[in-house]
Amino acid sequence: MIENKNEDVEKKPCIKCGVLIVLDNRFCNTCGARQDGKIIEPAANRWMLLQQGALFYGIDIVACCLVKFADFFQNLSRFLFFDILMAITAIIFFADNWTENKKLLTWRNFSWQKLAAYGAIAIASQIVVHYSVTWLNIAIYNKDDVYYTYLNGNYAAVIFLISFTAVMPALFEELGYRGYLMQTLLKVTDQEQAIYISAFLFAIIHMSVISLFWLIPFALFLGITRMRENTLWYGIFIHFCFNLTACVFELR
Amino acid sequence: MENPPLAPTITQCYACLKNVTDEDVFCPDCGYPLKGTPSEQENFITKSTFRDINLAASNNQVRKAGNTLFYLAGVFALGGIVFFVLRKDDPDVAAISITDFILAILFLLLGEYSKKKPLACIISGTCLYVIVQVLNFAIAPSSVISYIWIKIIIIGFLIKGIKSALEIEKIKKENNIA
Repeated sequence: MIENKNEDVEKKPCIKCGVLIVLDNRFCNTCGARQDGKIIEPAANRWMLLQQGALFYGIDIVACCLVKFADFFQNLSRFLFFDILMAITAIIFFADNWTENKKLLTWRNFSWQKLAAYGAIAIASQIVVHYSVTWLNIAIYNKDDVYYTYLNGNYAAVIFLISFTAVMPALFEELGYRGYLMQTLLKVTDQEQAIYISAFLFAIIHMSVISLFWLIPFALFLGITRMRENTLWYGIFIHFCFNLTACVFELR
Repeated sequence: MENPPLAPTITQCYACLKNVTDEDVFCPDCGYPLKGTPSEQENFITKSTFRDINLAASNNQVRKAGNTLFYLAGVFALGGIVFFVLRKDDPDVAAISITDFILAILFLLLGEYSKKKPLACIISGTCLYVIVQVLNFAIAPSSVISYIWIKIIIIGFLIKGIKSALEIEKIKKENNIA
């Protein structure tokens, strides 16, 4: 059988005029329409999205500063205020684009094995982090920096501690950073940079230079998990296990 | 007996110098209107020249933002050294100097990687700088006022860098430039 050589080349119809063209061609040679160009939001739209992200991050910065420096919040009420403010911010920004973001709250690929594995990783890394941070703080700052000192002897507040250091941050930090912020960044840039930016921003908002050495890898891990599993729930569970282990250390 | 059809003549595209055949109305590689009117062809060349100029200008802005990150690294490193020398006896000296050095290293890394991932690094650097300023303001409000013009210029360079990095990503993706 004699075949025309030209027929061997894989072809596709032009997206505009429908004439068959060579698969690799970037432009239709009949009508000139671009074939491979990705439709990207104009720079102005992406800049607007970044500004919206900056607003979200700015509110978080102010909230963190208030909790760290303002005198008018005492002990538990300051954490209550802080957590509620963070939660409201995260929910508002996340719900702003609810139709697109709600798919992150589904959990289609649920598996107990995965959940257990992620939980184990989280607990193990918190143990490593706890001992190395204690050592670093004593070595550099000459003090044992205890995060939640207000609890000393107050065991009635155990449930309070767990809900405000393990449950609330896990839920709403994930909703805010791996949810809203990452969804926004994915529209602005590629997946890799979106993971980097959200991880770095999440790490530095904790406002502790020494903690960056574990916060950045931890946030990268959460970002990668969110991308791979396409759900927020594994991240929330990892974050919860991680913080809960920290609580256990505090309560000893 | 009829002659077999002649193989299409191969010539070079005027715009991208890739091989094209005389059957092509547009260059399959760059979209140049091979059989268009002179004004269409001129229009195409003008547009692609404009795109190249835009890309070069944006690259320049991103480089300036990267240099700003290096400058910040230098400032924090210098600040750490000066503080360490001036207040050797202060019990907090190690903590403050080490914080400065870690910040310097962070800005250095961000500046270095801004060549590869400009958007991620410049956004991260801007946020880090803003947080440092906010913390300074919370600890000592007057410290933010000093050298305020330099700080505004730094933020300006970084924000222009972010905008230019957005522009570069758009141009590169739309035109499949690696």
